[in-house]
Amino acid sequence: MNDIGPEDLIAMLTAIAARIAEGRDRLNRLDAALGDGDHGASISAAFDLALAEVAALPDPRPSDIWLATARSLMNGMGGASGALFGTLFLKGVAAIHGKERLVKTDLDQLWAAGLAGVKARGKAAIGDKTMVDALEPAVLAFAAIDDAAAAWRAAADAAATGAASTAELIARQGRAKFLGERGIGHQDPGATTIALMFEALDCYWRQMKNGKT
Amino acid sequence: MSARLHKLIDQPDNVVSDMLAGFGAAYSDTVRLTDDGLVLRAAPKAPGKVALVIGCGSGHEPAMIGWVGPGLFDVNIAGEIFTAPGPERIVQGIKAADRGAGVLVCVSHHAGDLLNAELALELCALEGLSNVDMVLLYDDISSAPKGREPERRGTAGLFFVWKLLGAFCEGDGDLAAAKALAEKVRDNTRSLAMSLSSCASPVTGQVMFELPDGEMEIGMGLHGEMGMGRQKALGASETIDLMLPPILEDLPFQAGDEVLVLLNNSGSMTLMELFILYKRVAEKLAAAGINVYKSWIGPYATTQEMAGFALSLCRVDDQLKALWDAPANGAYMKQL
Repeated sequence: MNDIGPEDLIAMLTAIAARIAEGRDRLNRLDAALGDGDHGASISAAFDLALAEVAALPDPRPSDIWLATARSLMNGMGGASGALFGTLFLKGVAAIHGKERLVKTDLDQLWAAGLAGVKARGKAAIGDKTMVDALEPAVLAFAAIDDAAAAWRAAADAAATGAASTAELIARQGRAKFLGERGIGHQDPGATTIALMFEALDCYWRQMKNGKT
Repeated sequence: MSARLHKLIDQPDNVVSDMLAGFGAAYSDTVRLTDDGLVLRAAPKAPGKVALVIGCGSGHEPAMIGWVGPGLFDVNIAGEIFTAPGPERIVQGIKAADRGAGVLVCVSHHAGDLLNAELALELCALEGLSNVDMVLLYDDISSAPKGREPERRGTAGLFFVWKLLGAFCEGDGDLAAAKALAEKVRDNTRSLAMSLSSCASPVTGQVMFELPDGEMEIGMGLHGEMGMGRQKALGASETIDLMLPPILEDLPFQAGDEVLVLLNNSGSMTLMELFILYKRVAEKLAAAGINVYKSWIGPYATTQEMAGFALSLCRVDDQLKALWDAPANGAYMKQL
């Protein structure tokens, strides 16, 4: 992988927004079983807002793009989801601050900082039936492989496996925890969104690689 | 009884802004709406007093837009339906409320409300706004066992915090004293709710949860989260006989205590039913030697058209009784 500049980050966000827009109705249905049924609509709208905000930035650096995305998610979505998805991006900002272009180890730190922020903010760990169940394995899988293309693929697989695992869990955080055992059988919408994000990133980088070779 | 799927709204995506516009037009003598949707008092309180702010999801009207006014809140930041507002809007609300003596952000304990308030306070610190604090409030005994009270969620019983804290913040107490008062009321308040029906989200048009006719759920949150016990629906006295003892045992409320009582209509209960329920509450409290100082019966925090109620008790002393008797003038909470 060549190093990543602002144009790549914007294209990555565009791919994420498109994949989440496709998954909007499925995410709404998952949320209807565990929450109030609007997760797909609200996060899709928030990523669209992020794309518009990022497009309006003059000559952005990578950290500017990540900060605008964080703010759009927090303020555009609200609720626990807005705070947590916003934190995923917000805490990554410091990890890439001042850099013009990013290399693989920068991305490792970007995701690691975001993961740490989400876990601290939400006080959630693996097994709590939250976005952490998909995010933590994805971030660890990504950092474990030096080759970026292989790392994106491993992260997407890990996120998908993690998201699927939430179906059999009893929620210990968020509104779904009040469902107790009645939430079993339903996959967590936040974890599913993380899986869609990493799936979109993997697809994007595979297309880029194929296009360039 | 089923949820009402057809609501008289215009654009589902605009329900909150349309609602605020109508509310602001109807009660322009009490509140003022800003362009970005903050609900402020029509006339701000005097400088030098602690200001009270709350951000919360919409869909619970008259909470909390109806609670902005003298003796109550200074600013309400209304989020989307059942969704706490984001941190930058909370910061805007804090700035709009500030009268130079500090701002207390009240948080009804739900994940979204807490996380966004925490983020807002971090943003305030970055901007050098230092005299801002938050207080975490909860009252629902069904959401975590005794001994783990801070894990409980905030529900209808926070009514007492808003009224008593609002009155306190018309006085000369400072920010730390206001927070301590809020915690005192919280720690003397307990609630339990029940429902006979579900409700529909005005945005998605979907039923929030399934509850068959003839069954009732005890231990209901304010967003249709299913609670802890589902059973065959009972009569009024039998229902109170199930719900009141765990409330009394939890604090515990004891003979000789004085209490405020709230029967909150979560949506489509009739007043007739609530009065019949209250009859049994009064009988049981009298039998337990607990004296009712004042009661309030009606819709304060609703969950759309859900048919159900919350029973809340707050133990009061002379300080809290005086604060209850102090005037309040919000659009939907008035104390002469």
